Amino acid sequence: MTLLEVEDVHTYYGQSHVLEGVSLEVEAGEVVALVGRNGVGKTTTLRSVLQLTPPRSGSVRYRGEELVGHRTHEVADRGVGWIPEERRVFSRLTVEENLRVSVPDPEDVPAALARVFETFPDLDEFRDKEAGDLSGGQQQMLSVARGLVGDNDLLLVDEPSEGLAPLIVEAVAEALSAAAEEATLLLVEQNLPLALDLADRFYVIDHGQVVEEGATDDVSADDERLRRYLSA
Amino acid sequence: MMLASFLEALLQFLQPATLLGVFVDGLAKSAIFVTIAAGLTLIFGLMGVLNFAHGSLTMVGAYLGGLFMVLAVGEATGGTTRLLLFLVAIAVVFALLGSVGGAIEVGLIRPLYDRPPLYQILLTFGLTLVLDELVRIVTLFYDVQPRADWQAARGTKPAFLASGVQLGPVSVGPLEALQVALGVLTVVGIWAFLTRTRYGLYVRAGSEDDEMAEALGIDVRRVFTVVFALGTALAGAAGVLLMWDKNWGASVPLASETLLPAFVVVIVGGLGTFRGTVVAAVIVGMTDAVMTWWFVNHVEFTGLPELTVFLILVGVLVVRPQGLFGVEGVGGH
Repeated sequence: MTLLEVEDVHTYYGQSHVLEGVSLEVEAGEVVALVGRNGVGKTTTLRSVLQLTPPRSGSVRYRGEELVGHRTHEVADRGVGWIPEERRVFSRLTVEENLRVSVPDPEDVPAALARVFETFPDLDEFRDKEAGDLSGGQQQMLSVARGLVGDNDLLLVDEPSEGLAPLIVEAVAEALSAAAEEATLLLVEQNLPLALDLADRFYVIDHGQVVEEGATDDVSADDERLRRYLSA
Repeated sequence: MMLASFLEALLQFLQPATLLGVFVDGLAKSAIFVTIAAGLTLIFGLMGVLNFAHGSLTMVGAYLGGLFMVLAVGEATGGTTRLLLFLVAIAVVFALLGSVGGAIEVGLIRPLYDRPPLYQILLTFGLTLVLDELVRIVTLFYDVQPRADWQAARGTKPAFLASGVQLGPVSVGPLEALQVALGVLTVVGIWAFLTRTRYGLYVRAGSEDDEMAEALGIDVRRVFTVVFALGTALAGAAGVLLMWDKNWGASVPLASETLLPAFVVVIVGGLGTFRGTVVAAVIVGMTDAVMTWWFVNHVEFTGLPELTVFLILVGVLVVRPQGLFGVEGVGGH
């Protein structure tokens, strides 16, 4: 079943035409990677799906329903979660409050917290600590956990390994694998080996357009075709 | 000669009765400042809007509270009933100005969120001018003197609130005690709202990162409306508290007289932090009370105490520009 359909999306920042007709599909249960160089429109694609930067034209359908024209919180209410670049945890809220605020129904909070602390036992240890006092890796865990605790069916994950030490990246990859057990993932990742390891399929974006797509099983991280699009 | 006079004044100040009296006066001032500034800081913390109309809304609250009391209180109304009616007036003005605040946010401020902050400043400043002139016209038309304190509203004060109550060596004004009680209630109420309710959690999350909060399913625009309404409701309730006060009263200049110290409190505490606002209100209120005692009793120059409040502002801005509890770059959307 197709969960997300992005069709001929054109998105602008002011006068700057960033997405020039992006089209892609994500099936339920898949992990799909969006790869490409910096500034080619990967993050903007995620923001366009969430309606944080609404497209000027084109269509974004989730479970067959049009999202363009809806507000971001309405998109989130439909089960689309966001694990953003640079984590963006609420630094003055405790770990537990960061998770509580992400659960749509207050009655579900105890069960959701129990479930997420089982997946991320480290976070349970810091539940009363302010998120701003956590390390970068711990904040990334919290960001992933926040996406999961919202009971989302689709998670839009943006550069989860950015700025993290290799050991922490491994832990984040494990966390994302755990997330993939529970939700469908559309993953933006510059770290090609990590992206290909996690994903079932990939799209390459260049200059605001999808230029390549395929199954990750058919390519390797040193594939010349991919390298061409990823090198500056 | 001057030194001897100063030492004599200092000895008098250090008398327990004087110290306690000044302390109670400081507490009452702190309570007033925190009630007014709390709304201002909540609005700035979440929405990044510096609401210049806040003082005018306090002034409107004082007039509406006064109007309610003048209409509800007759000559034969007893003291306890008057006090109860006063509490009802606070609740009515709170609800009324809350609704007005909600309408202002939806109708006037919301269309400006995507524009630079200067637009919101100009809008709220313009709103101040409109509200002040509107009240001036109405009070002139109905022969309610706009420049002096509104005596008819003052006249509704129960007799037992006018005289001091002796608590040991200190004479405490019951109105001051009432102001302190309502100030404490405001602080506890807002603290409980922010830390114990789900909506408070939304406010705190939205204050830090409104885009992330929206992406988590929070209708941030609705939270903006609720917070703006709460802020203006608090401003109005503070106005009712000032209606009977001998130092304030319902008058058009009340708008600027309350806005300036409220801004000082918010900036000294750190823009957008409620904890900072509470601490700064106590610092500013206590300093004001101490300086008022000194200047009124020994220098006999009553204009200077207000200056010290602004000296605190200058001092904090020089040493710690983000305020006592402020975080650089935090506040607004």
